[in-house]
Amino acid sequence: MTPPPERVKRTLVTGVIGSDTHIVGNRILSMALEDAGYHVVTLGALTPAEDFIKAAIETAADGIMVSSLYGQGELDCRGFRDLCVEAGLQDILLYVGGNLVVGKQDWGDVEQRFLKMGFDRAFPPGTRANEVIQLLDEDFSKRNSGVGAAGQ
Amino acid sequence: MSYASPLDEKLRPFSSEQIPQELFTKLREENLARWPTGAEVDLDEAVYYHQSLPDHKRLPWVLRQAEAEGRCLTQPRGGFGTLELQIELMKALDKEGLADVVPTTTDSYTRNERWDQAETGIAESEKEGRSMLNGFPMVNYGPRRTRKLIEAINKPGIVLSGTSMPRLTGEVGYAAGFTGYLGSGLAYVTSYTKEMTIEEAIRNYQYLDRLVALYQDKGVELHRRQPGFLTGTNIPPSIAIITCVIDALLAAAQGVKSYGLEMGQTLHLIQDAAAIRACKELAQEYLQRAGYDDVSTPVISLHWMGAWPQDEAQCAALVSYGGTLAAIGGAASVTTKSTHEAFGIPTPQANAESLRTTRMAVYLARQIRMDDHPEFLKEVDLIKREVRPILDRTLEIGEGDIAVGTVRACEAGIVDIPWSPNRYIKSRVMPARDADGYLRILDPGDMPFDKQVLEIHTERLHARAEREGVPFDRELAVSSVYEISEPLSRLVKGPSKDDKQPTVTS
Repeated sequence: MTPPPERVKRTLVTGVIGSDTHIVGNRILSMALEDAGYHVVTLGALTPAEDFIKAAIETAADGIMVSSLYGQGELDCRGFRDLCVEAGLQDILLYVGGNLVVGKQDWGDVEQRFLKMGFDRAFPPGTRANEVIQLLDEDFSKRNSGVGAAGQ
Repeated sequence: MSYASPLDEKLRPFSSEQIPQELFTKLREENLARWPTGAEVDLDEAVYYHQSLPDHKRLPWVLRQAEAEGRCLTQPRGGFGTLELQIELMKALDKEGLADVVPTTTDSYTRNERWDQAETGIAESEKEGRSMLNGFPMVNYGPRRTRKLIEAINKPGIVLSGTSMPRLTGEVGYAAGFTGYLGSGLAYVTSYTKEMTIEEAIRNYQYLDRLVALYQDKGVELHRRQPGFLTGTNIPPSIAIITCVIDALLAAAQGVKSYGLEMGQTLHLIQDAAAIRACKELAQEYLQRAGYDDVSTPVISLHWMGAWPQDEAQCAALVSYGGTLAAIGGAASVTTKSTHEAFGIPTPQANAESLRTTRMAVYLARQIRMDDHPEFLKEVDLIKREVRPILDRTLEIGEGDIAVGTVRACEAGIVDIPWSPNRYIKSRVMPARDADGYLRILDPGDMPFDKQVLEIHTERLHARAEREGVPFDRELAVSSVYEISEPLSRLVKGPSKDDKQPTVTS
């Protein structure tokens, strides 16, 4: 199946933020994004926030997909949007997903916390890649038609 | 930047040979000077302390007894950020959990040798009255205060520190009176690091293994253990065993005599029993072939190392079944998780409860074994046929040196680990669960498996694809990653009009 031309033009940066080595979910997502037709820049595990931004600048990326599984994602992701803005990436699409906080917490609260931090979307553990791809399509097509990204 | 000792890299060509005594003295001096508590490590005093311990507080002795009696020991994991909390935890695991081996897990700062940050973590934990660290900062407390942990229990203590930088934590742990230490050069570099080279990690564990040999020379037998669970994500037994044997050969070359081999459970009764048997036999076969005929290699079975379900009831099944799998498989010990696994670090009570659940399951397994089961014998044979060509090729390209061979084999993808974050591991090999619940190899990457062996794997996975009506592709591997953590509603369907039997999907 040929991927929609819309996706082929898009570059996405993926990685696991902070001191986190949990690579599996992020790799599955990266493979699925590639299969879907996106150009994917994979930074892998143990990636500092700054490296995401650097890679996004170097590859003129359209979006950054941040994974975090070890509970400290909340600390690692603080100020991520500000870093993007400082680097001139104010319009870049930001997704975050995984086990984002320590312990069992209400997902609605967690999601709001990350949206307030400037992420366009936040995903709970167990989210499937095709769900993410569908939302990416929606968000990018809204941007094309001049509407702002969801959640912002 | 190097993750190993610069002095070691400068003075010692990389090989599997035992680190010479004189050089090791220098390496120890350099290592112990890296943090103030290093100065508290006094080898002669530590030897004296170890010799004062009763047999039942020495892990090598306890494991040997268990093997001789055909018993399966229970051991949890666990670590908190302050000495007081850790003493309480270890007492609870010993008394309430009836653990046969009591652990101390170190925190992430300690594992990454960020002792300055661990110091802040201790202060914060003391201020908050709860653990702000995900383990015990052993180096910061130093051997003298850490010994209070050993004094608080009446079982052997083991250090669990998921790191490829064990040199100072190992010195402190053994000097404090721990008699076991989990971790190895090849296994941990593939699971916990991104930039560290295989050589650096092997060097670091050669130090620790050499330290154990030094104690041995002074009459103290200590246990070392290999974490064969690797990335914990659907590791087929053969891949775990390949790393077990390599790390065991590296340890034996430094002089280790008691070396445990861990096997993460596949959750298939026959495959797990076969894995334990094959691991035991292959380790001894390769050790003896290399001239080491006095290394004991008990096999330790590990509760499910992949993602756990959110539902505590489902978790309870994994805990209990894990005890059954270990005992029937003939493991010397089982390392437990708890029903809180999906949410992070368990309370001491939840941890102790899961230990007792496991212990009861071990009891109920009695002396039931798979020994003559035809499917078991077939699987043992298959695993051995998978392991041998990889190990033989690794030894061959190392020109007889297993350390050199391992680095080259990883580079060439001959040794490969699924889902590894490390950039020096190809991570092209891809496992998936077959129609009968065995873990199989979907894509071998560059691992030189025998063609006929691979055909068996492919055929079994095709059978699953057919049964589920899905294509034979990578999605088989991906769905296998999530399977065990799925809610019951997705795993087991009730009877429907079209299908009277419950069907299992993955």
